[in-house]
Amino acid sequence: MRVTSERYAIGLARAFGGAIIFGIPLLMTMEMWSLGFSMGRGRLLLLMVFTLVLLIGLSYFSGFEKTFSLKEDAMDAFAALGVGVITSAVLLVVLAVITFDMSWGDIVGRVALQSVPASIGAMLGRKQLGDEQDMDAEEERKREAGYAGELFLMLAGALFLAFNMAPTEEMILIAFQMTPWHALALGVLSMLLLHVFVYSIGFSGQEGRPEGGTFLSTFLHFTLTGYGVALLVSLYVLWSFGRTDGVSVAEMANMLVVLGFPASLGAATARLVV
Amino acid sequence: MNREHKAGEIQTAKAEQQVPWLEWAASGIGLFLVLGIFGVIGWQVFNGATTPPEIIVEVDTVAPVEGGYRVLFLARNTAGEAAAQVEIEGTVSKAGADTETSRVVLDYIPGHSERQGGLFFTYEPRSGSLAVRATGFTTP
Repeated sequence: MRVTSERYAIGLARAFGGAIIFGIPLLMTMEMWSLGFSMGRGRLLLLMVFTLVLLIGLSYFSGFEKTFSLKEDAMDAFAALGVGVITSAVLLVVLAVITFDMSWGDIVGRVALQSVPASIGAMLGRKQLGDEQDMDAEEERKREAGYAGELFLMLAGALFLAFNMAPTEEMILIAFQMTPWHALALGVLSMLLLHVFVYSIGFSGQEGRPEGGTFLSTFLHFTLTGYGVALLVSLYVLWSFGRTDGVSVAEMANMLVVLGFPASLGAATARLVV
Repeated sequence: MNREHKAGEIQTAKAEQQVPWLEWAASGIGLFLVLGIFGVIGWQVFNGATTPPEIIVEVDTVAPVEGGYRVLFLARNTAGEAAAQVEIEGTVSKAGADTETSRVVLDYIPGHSERQGGLFFTYEPRSGSLAVRATGFTTP
């Protein structure tokens, strides 16, 4: 089937749909607006680069069109980021978060930060909103990619959900009011749900237990690794937002477990969404 | 569909010629926006984005309102870093009377940006000396 401009236009429209739906929770979150201008510029730049790399990877697994080469994945990633930027800019102006008497650095910072979830949404839009997708090719890619691909999808899912929670003041407040026992319980619960979501309750896209794998080897190989990925992603996101600056290690561990909860759910369900 | 995927290698050469113009346009606009954003943020990195806040307060207008006077001011952050919880204090002193002080807290003033606010007084601000200044901030 030839990819025509009309078909591409449909994919692009779905991308805008995805950007709005996945982006709206954060577009309407107050902390995101102030983080846009107050977070470290170097960290914001790094986050944008990280997003671009993530988008290229996501484009490989499920983009708004089937891709054949790195060049096409890169083109799709730029298009998705473009869609994310435009969607964020328009909505932020409509919501009066951006007004034109603001300084350029302020405006660009706000749009740039919001474009992270919006562009991931744009990339996933085709998969979630489209009907005619090439499931076979997609499954084949996921199989070919093996363990590394598995980890990448976990990382993408963890980042998306963690990113949705991390800006809010609540993450820190919850960490403050938890005792060590609460933190331990939440950590165990996160791992349990991660394991159950991925291997037991028959969501579509669920993994079969690897051949010859016992419960213990599966647990070590996937669940524990998945939770590790979730914690690392949480640390990265918290650091990006400056939440870890000057915080004691003990308090940081609490914050990681709190944010690790949504992150591990994201890691577990990445296969359903991507 | 599946067969087409298996013939991927053959398709690659063709696909390059067949990239629709809309895809070029969308990717091009995306690339342009990405470079623009990276440029602006990158520029800030090397141009004093990390200098601590410096806040200058200017009185904009003074107008009589019911029960007193309203002073509108502009608080301008001339440095690169954003300031949070900026406290603005205004005083009006009148000869032979106490000084009247009013305060307000602005949530944020981003770097190189300004925010507007207002203070209320019961004394006529023009009759005495009106002074408005920022007394402090926290880092966000």
